[in-house]
Amino acid sequence: MSDTAAILTQDRQKLEMSALSAPAVVFTVAMIAFPVVYTIWLGFQTFSSTGKQSFAGLANYSKLVSDYEFWHGLWVTIALFVLSLVLQLVFGVWLALVLFHAKRLPGIVRSLFISPFMMPPVVAGMMWLVILDPSLGAANYILQSFGLPPSDWLASPTWVIPTIALIDSWQWTPYVALIVLGGLQSLPPSVYEAAQIDGASAFKTFQRITLPLLLPTIVTAAILRSVDLLRFFDIIYITTQGGPGNASNTLNIYGFRVGFEFFNIGYASALMLTLTAIVFGAVLAFNRLRGAVAW
Amino acid sequence: MNDAANTDRWIRWLNTVQLVIAGVLIMAPTVWMVLSSFKPSFEVTAYPPTLVFSPTLANYAELTRTTPFLSYALNSLIVTVGSTALGLLFGIPAAFAVSWTRITWPAILTLAARMAPGTLFLLPWYVMFRQIGMIGSYTALILSHAVITLPIVIWVLLPSFDGIPRSIFEAAQVDGCSVTRILWRIALPLVASGVAVSAILAFVFSWNYFLFALVLSNGDTKTLIAAAFNFIGEGSTQWGALMAAATLIALPPLVLAALVQRWLVSGLTLGAVKG
Repeated sequence: MSDTAAILTQDRQKLEMSALSAPAVVFTVAMIAFPVVYTIWLGFQTFSSTGKQSFAGLANYSKLVSDYEFWHGLWVTIALFVLSLVLQLVFGVWLALVLFHAKRLPGIVRSLFISPFMMPPVVAGMMWLVILDPSLGAANYILQSFGLPPSDWLASPTWVIPTIALIDSWQWTPYVALIVLGGLQSLPPSVYEAAQIDGASAFKTFQRITLPLLLPTIVTAAILRSVDLLRFFDIIYITTQGGPGNASNTLNIYGFRVGFEFFNIGYASALMLTLTAIVFGAVLAFNRLRGAVAW
Repeated sequence: MNDAANTDRWIRWLNTVQLVIAGVLIMAPTVWMVLSSFKPSFEVTAYPPTLVFSPTLANYAELTRTTPFLSYALNSLIVTVGSTALGLLFGIPAAFAVSWTRITWPAILTLAARMAPGTLFLLPWYVMFRQIGMIGSYTALILSHAVITLPIVIWVLLPSFDGIPRSIFEAAQVDGCSVTRILWRIALPLVASGVAVSAILAFVFSWNYFLFALVLSNGDTKTLIAAAFNFIGEGSTQWGALMAAATLIALPPLVLAALVQRWLVSGLTLGAVKG
């Protein structure tokens, strides 16, 4: 009898728990799961110029394979991704080491260091647009006062990708640094003491001990940044809209413009599903890497 | 011994120098933005750029005179507060249930929105919202931004709920408390600071979000971020007003972030790192 009662309370508890998560689940299904299924369906449709919709089979996907802009967008996405990620990881680890050895870090300093990535990326784009202006910007003035040639920055098809990578790295390097700093602070101090007793140099200690122990944290930071970098949108759209020409037309920008400037919803859906597959693939790959470097 | 002390001092000095360099690189662009917003219009575009000038509020006056800046700001506030409230309303009970039952799929499901490109959802939303005539409505904007706030609330609160000793709940259960009552009366007060952090982070990310409002808003409901284009268009000659707009848009998230900076990193990485 007390068993049935216990089972009854257990059942009731399960029911109550489901009721608690139900609003979030229903909301997510309605706003994410269902729309994604709908996008998959839209990917098989074509929309004529009058907005008439008809079934197109795999036409959007075969178009994608032979679309020069798609392959160009993929190349731009990957170039921007690799360049930004390397910059942010290298400078992020450097900044974390500097912060770690500074020991006492007043709250106000921490606040200043987090300010780049807490401001809207759109604002970052606005302010760098002014700083990097080819004729009147402060950046070129600084270059020239060091005797270096001025650059067209965002207006140059050659330099636009490195420039955008630079803006994003300005914004997110402190974020990577704070994650790595968390990893550094959780390392056992005993390993350093052992290395010091053995007379290891500072560089050797870093290379042989700190870096391998830190790798899981660095990979975590890489995963978090990759997810954002592969769907890079805000800074590009506010500064160049994919230009000059199509020099910074990432897959995400291209898909957005196909969908909302040319209103080819079907083809845009196919593009976005492909990009989503790339993002999830990258996360899975990094996750395996994290498993490999775990200790 | 003396040598070692010297090397030590030298290393500390080198570290301070690097810290200052990093600080300057991080702060200089923002400082330049704020300075430019207070420059008289003829000095904003002066070349070579000037550092010394008599500050003026003319750019801010210009901004409010030539653009509906305040109504954009009000739109941003409505969408941000609405989506943050919705995120808390759905996220708090869900985080509690996930923490209690260890059934994690609802939390992981909401995370999908953090990983997929926003346009993936925006395309079907646009088609659906257009069919029911909701493009340009606050409702559509709040619902879309709640997709951003919900995972933040859930993943920031999960470790807080996990940190409460189970015995407290079990004791309450023995006393005949229902699960819902345990959540509101016992668990929630214990994670109040976590709720505050999650609310602030949700607010910041909803405020900063660009893509959805770009398509789902209209002239009357446009948020500040989505209106940034208007400022750039006018700013091609009016850098001062552009920088004034940028400064004002960045102010709320920066002030709020400064308040919670200590808990920020663990919150931002959605539980992947304990900062």
